[in-house]
Amino acid sequence: MASQRALPQSKESLLQNYNKRLKDDIRSILDNLTEIIKTAKVEDETQVSRATQAEQDHYEMHVRAANIVRAGESLMKLVSDLKQFLILNDFPSVNEAISLQNQQLRSLQEECDKKLTSLRDEIAIDLYELEEEYYSSRCESAPSSLCFADSMPPYGFCSGKATVSGTVRTCLCARPTGAGTVGRPRTGVTHLGQPRRAWRTQTDPPHRKLPPNTT
Amino acid sequence: MANDRLRALEEVENQIATILQCAGNIVLELSKDKHNASFLDRQLSQFTGSVNRVETELSSQIRYLTQVATGQPHEGSTYSARKDCQMALNRAEYTRVKLGELGRTCEVMLDPQP
Repeated sequence: MASQRALPQSKESLLQNYNKRLKDDIRSILDNLTEIIKTAKVEDETQVSRATQAEQDHYEMHVRAANIVRAGESLMKLVSDLKQFLILNDFPSVNEAISLQNQQLRSLQEECDKKLTSLRDEIAIDLYELEEEYYSSRCESAPSSLCFADSMPPYGFCSGKATVSGTVRTCLCARPTGAGTVGRPRTGVTHLGQPRRAWRTQTDPPHRKLPPNTT
Repeated sequence: MANDRLRALEEVENQIATILQCAGNIVLELSKDKHNASFLDRQLSQFTGSVNRVETELSSQIRYLTQVATGQPHEGSTYSARKDCQMALNRAEYTRVKLGELGRTCEVMLDPQP
């Protein structure tokens, strides 16, 4: 059997309750202090002995002082409840706080992205220059350092490879020609009767791989 | 705007403490054989002023809440902006890490270990 839960108090009744608590606590503080001041007055004529009257006044002052303290604590609790109600239900200030926070976060994000974009552009420029240097220098190095000049195959170009590591040198300009390969057949001599050189000449355009897409 | 109201409520709390302090000083002064009348007057005027200020301020706050409160929960959020900002910071951190690795790689290449 599901237990019934209390319905949430409507906002009007809640605020009326706050008003009532405020008035009751203020009235309690004022009344009790007034009574304490009245009780502090020394009277000559009393119905009971002075000691008894003094004892009674002492006890009454204790109780009224405790009432003042209780009313003060109730006011503090009321202030706490009002703070909570304000934070949860003051929509104008909540909207303003949310929009301010959104604005700050978006400006931070835009600044971050702007700096990353400028960094990317600078690195792309440097990368382009580095690629220019790298790919041009690789193809224009000295022939002996790239090709095995002693091992010239009959078809007139070297078969060694030159790599950056320097261990196995490979000339990437070599391209197989003839039957089953690409390119026009190349003989061992040029049309002028000179032996065809296997390495690249200064007049040949440098091979160059397209740089990777950095965007 | 919200901070002003919350600060006003904190000031009200200080005023309530002042009320209790003044009430205690008055009772303490009355317990003596010879009372200082000027001190009593000062404490009493401070007590009365604090009580009036507390009542006025709390009444105005309750009146404002009566006009503004709807009883419905607020559904605003900063989640999307916060998420976008967090992603931008993650991108920057990732870039920093990768540039650090690139820098270390360049240092190793330029100064190889024997």
